[in-house]
Amino acid sequence: MRIIIDAFIVLSLFFAFAGVVGMLRMPDAFCRMQSSTNIATLGVLGVIIAGILYAAFYLQDGAMAVKLALMGIFYIITNPIAGHAICRGAYKHGVRPDKKMVVDKYGEDMVEEE
Amino acid sequence: MIMNELLWFAICFIVLALCLLVRLIKGPSVADRAVAADSIDILSDMALILFALYSGRSVFLDIALITALLGFIGSTIVARYLEGKL
Repeated sequence: MRIIIDAFIVLSLFFAFAGVVGMLRMPDAFCRMQSSTNIATLGVLGVIIAGILYAAFYLQDGAMAVKLALMGIFYIITNPIAGHAICRGAYKHGVRPDKKMVVDKYGEDMVEEE
Repeated sequence: MIMNELLWFAICFIVLALCLLVRLIKGPSVADRAVAADSIDILSDMALILFALYSGRSVFLDIALITALLGFIGSTIVARYLEGKL
């Protein structure tokens, strides 16, 4: 059981590391946002599952496990909302993607609305 | 005092969060800084969860939950402000 918990945490650590490297190395603001969701979903879920297993089997504490599950559900619900809102806000504020981008449907829709 | 491996994992998460400070300082646009601050919040949350498991106290879990809530509210407010509706 200890090995399973450690495997979940190491998986989550790997995804968090990949997200951090992506955030430091990506060329563009929107690419960096896409890379930060990697931390927020897979990185959190590994720690949450490992924590539920640890609290249920080692600490024998049901309240902690329920609280961790609540935190996991909260993260799953709220992170896409925050990412979407901040992406739209950045586009309307004037942040534009790289010059190499070819398709910009959202910009065309905004022009049509005006 | 025996160092559990949960503490080492928590230290790894804190080091990753400190690496994100680079993006927070030199980010070219406002959105980069907001996203980096949100990610630092999430990473420190994970370190808090691991420390709560290590020490066996559920007070740190409450702190982590409230920090996650405040981070979500903060990033949403920054997004609304960037959109120009605030």
